[in-house]
Amino acid sequence: MAVLIVDQVSKFYDHFKAVDRVSFQIEAGRMFGLLGPNGAGKTTTMRMIMNIIIPDEGRIEIFGARFQEEHKNQIGYLPEERGLYPKMKVVDHLQFLGEMKGLSAAEARRRAHHWLERFELEKWAEKKVQELSKGMQQKIQFISTIMHDPQLIIMDEPFSGLDPINTKLLKDILLELKQAGKTIILSTHLMDQAEKLCEEICLINRGRVVLQGPLSDIKQRYSHNSVQLEYAGDASFIAALPFVERINDYGNYMEIRLKDQTAPQELFQAVAQAGLQVSRFEAMETSLNDIFIEIVGGGNGHE
Amino acid sequence: MNKIVTIIKREIMTKVFTRGFIVGTVLGPIFMIGISFGPAFFLSLSEEKSVSLVIVDQTNQLSPHLPAAFSDTLANGQPRFILTVIDSITYERQRALFLQQLEDKQIKAVVIIPSNAWEGGTLIYMGKSISDMEFIQLVRDRINQELNRLKLFRAGINPDVIEQLTTRLKIKTIKIEKGQAREKQLGQEWVTAFVFLIILYMTSLLYGNATMRGVLEEKTSRIMEVLLSSTNAFQLMMGKVFGVGMVGLIQYLLWVAMALGVFAFAAASNPALLKYISISPVVFFYFIVFFLVGYFQISTLYAAVGAMSSSQEDAQALSTPITILVVIPFIISFTVVRDPASTLVQVLSYVPFFTPMLMFLRITLMMPPWYEIWGAILINLAAIVAGTWVSAKIYRTGILLYGKRPTLPEIIRWIRYN
Repeated sequence: MAVLIVDQVSKFYDHFKAVDRVSFQIEAGRMFGLLGPNGAGKTTTMRMIMNIIIPDEGRIEIFGARFQEEHKNQIGYLPEERGLYPKMKVVDHLQFLGEMKGLSAAEARRRAHHWLERFELEKWAEKKVQELSKGMQQKIQFISTIMHDPQLIIMDEPFSGLDPINTKLLKDILLELKQAGKTIILSTHLMDQAEKLCEEICLINRGRVVLQGPLSDIKQRYSHNSVQLEYAGDASFIAALPFVERINDYGNYMEIRLKDQTAPQELFQAVAQAGLQVSRFEAMETSLNDIFIEIVGGGNGHE
Repeated sequence: MNKIVTIIKREIMTKVFTRGFIVGTVLGPIFMIGISFGPAFFLSLSEEKSVSLVIVDQTNQLSPHLPAAFSDTLANGQPRFILTVIDSITYERQRALFLQQLEDKQIKAVVIIPSNAWEGGTLIYMGKSISDMEFIQLVRDRINQELNRLKLFRAGINPDVIEQLTTRLKIKTIKIEKGQAREKQLGQEWVTAFVFLIILYMTSLLYGNATMRGVLEEKTSRIMEVLLSSTNAFQLMMGKVFGVGMVGLIQYLLWVAMALGVFAFAAASNPALLKYISISPVVFFYFIVFFLVGYFQISTLYAAVGAMSSSQEDAQALSTPITILVVIPFIISFTVVRDPASTLVQVLSYVPFFTPMLMFLRITLMMPPWYEIWGAILINLAAIVAGTWVSAKIYRTGILLYGKRPTLPEIIRWIRYN
C-alpha cells in the first residue's frame, strides 16, 4: 500500500516555480531519499506534504486519503528549521510536544523519560533546554519527532550538525524504525548518507524531478566501467590499451575508465601479463555522489 | 481544538510562574492605586482625624454645656474632638504640661474662655499653628453659640424657643454637608471611569505586546515549524492569543483578590473610602466585555506583526500603527469625560478600536440605551472576525519567512495567497 502519493504537485511564488509538477509514491516500510542541491525544492515539497503550505496544483494523498489535520498525529516531521523553547525544562518540553501529537499528558511524560534514557539524557531531564549543548538539543528534537510512534517519519537534513557518534546513533534508530515497519522519508544533500540508508530515491533539481526509482536500478543505469588500481612500477602502458577510455594517474594510484562493453577482467589480465606489481585492483561501482554531480553538476543547480 | 488547549496550558505554565509576572502583578496595582486613589486617600486621611482640644473655662459656668457643643463625629464614626474642659485653677497648676503637649502636637489648641465672657470678652486661642483659620473660626462659633444659649436661658426665654433657634443653626450645617456629598459623587464617577480606562489602555498594550513577543520568540528560536508539524497556523495563533489572554485574566483575578483585601482593610479603618470605590455590577460586566473585545481586536493584529518580523527592531517598527490605534482612543477619552454626549464621541463609540474605551466611558458617565451598546459590540465582533481572518493569513505566511522586513505590497500578497 502506498503510504504517500505525491501527484503532479506544483508551488509557485510569483513567477518563480519552487516546485514544478513533482510526482512520487512511497510504499509502506520503505526508506525513501528526497535528494537535491540546496534550494532545489525539497523543503517546499515536505512542507506541502505536511500541509504547512498548500500546493497550487496537484494532489497529495497520505494513508490513502487527502490530508486531514488528524494525520499530523501519525506523522513525525523534523523540519530543517528546528528549535526548542530555550527556557522550558527538557522533560516538560517533550511532554508538551507529545501532547501536541495527541498523547495524554501522563503518557507523553512516560515516553519522554523512556527516550531520554535511551539517548542517555535522563540526568538532563529537569534542566532547562538552554543549558544543553547543541548536539543534545538535536537529540531532544529527534525524540520529539518519534516519541508518538508515527507511521510516517519525515526528516529534513537530520544529520546536519551531529557529531559522528550521534550520527551513528540516529542512523541505528532509523534502521530500527524501518524494521518496525515505519515509512521514512529522508531529505538530504549528503549523497553518501542517502546511499547507505535509502532503498529508493527521488532527485530534485530546480523544482523538478530529474531522477527517481530504486537505488539499485539507478546505480546500474549510471554505472561506468571504472577501476581503481594501486601499484608500484611503470604503468604508462595502460593508457595505450585499446579498451581504455582514459586514465587519471597519481604515480602509485590510478583511476581507469574503460570503454563500454569492456569487462574489468580484460584489464586485469593485461596488467598481470605486463608483470606490474599490484597491491589493489578494484572494479568500481559508481557512487550516488558521482551520479548527483553528473546530473546536477555544471553549476546549473545552485542558487 | 485539544491542541489549542495544550498551547494555552503551556502558555500559562511558562508565563505565570515567572519573576516578571509576579513582580508585575504586585507592583502593577501599587502603581495604579498610587496614581488614582493616592491623592483622594491622603486628602481624606488628613481631613478626617480626631483633634485634641483643651478648653479652660474661667467663667466656671459653661463647662457642663461644652461637651455637647463639641460632640459631632467624623464620617468614620470617630469623635471629631477629644475635649478636655478644665477650670482656671487646674490650668494654672498644669500650665507647663499643657504647653509641652502643645509643643509635642499631642493637643491642637488650648482655648481660654475669659471670666468676662458674658460681657463679650476675648477668647484666647493658643496653638502650635494658628494658620488654620477655618478651625479657629469653628471653635469660636461653637463656644459663642453655647454662650448665647446660656445667655438666652438666663434672660428667661423658653428652652423650647432656644432649641428652635439652635436647630435653625443646625440646618445650615446640613446644607454644607449636602454640598460635599454631591461633590463626592462626581469625583467617584470620574475615579471609576479613569481607573477602568487606564486598566483597559495598559492591558491592551501590555498583553498585545506580550502576544507579539511570544510569536517572535517562537520564530527566532526556530520552533515554529516544529509546532506546525503538530497543528496548523490558525490554531497556533488562536492558542497564543487565548493563552496570553488567559494569563492576563489570571492577573486580573489576582488583582481583584488583592483589591478586595486592601479595600476590606481600608474600609475597616475609614468607611468614607467606600464611597470612592463602589462599582456597580453592570459597569463591571461591561468592563469585562469591553476588555475582551479590545484585547482580541488588538492581540490578533499584534500576533500578525510578530509573525511578520524577524527581530525586535522589526516588531517595534511594524507595531507602531497598532499602538496608535490604542493611544488615539485613550487621548480622545479625556474629552469624553468633559462631554460624554458630544456627537463626535457618539459616532466614534461605534468604530472598532474606539468602541472598547469610548463606549465604556459613556456607560460609566451617562448610560446609553442598550441597543446602542450592543449595536457597537456587534460591529466590533464582526471586525474581530475579519481582523482574525486577515491576521491568520499574514501569520501563516509570515511565520515561515526569515530575513528582511516585508513591504506593504508583500503583506497584501500574503493575504491573497490561498
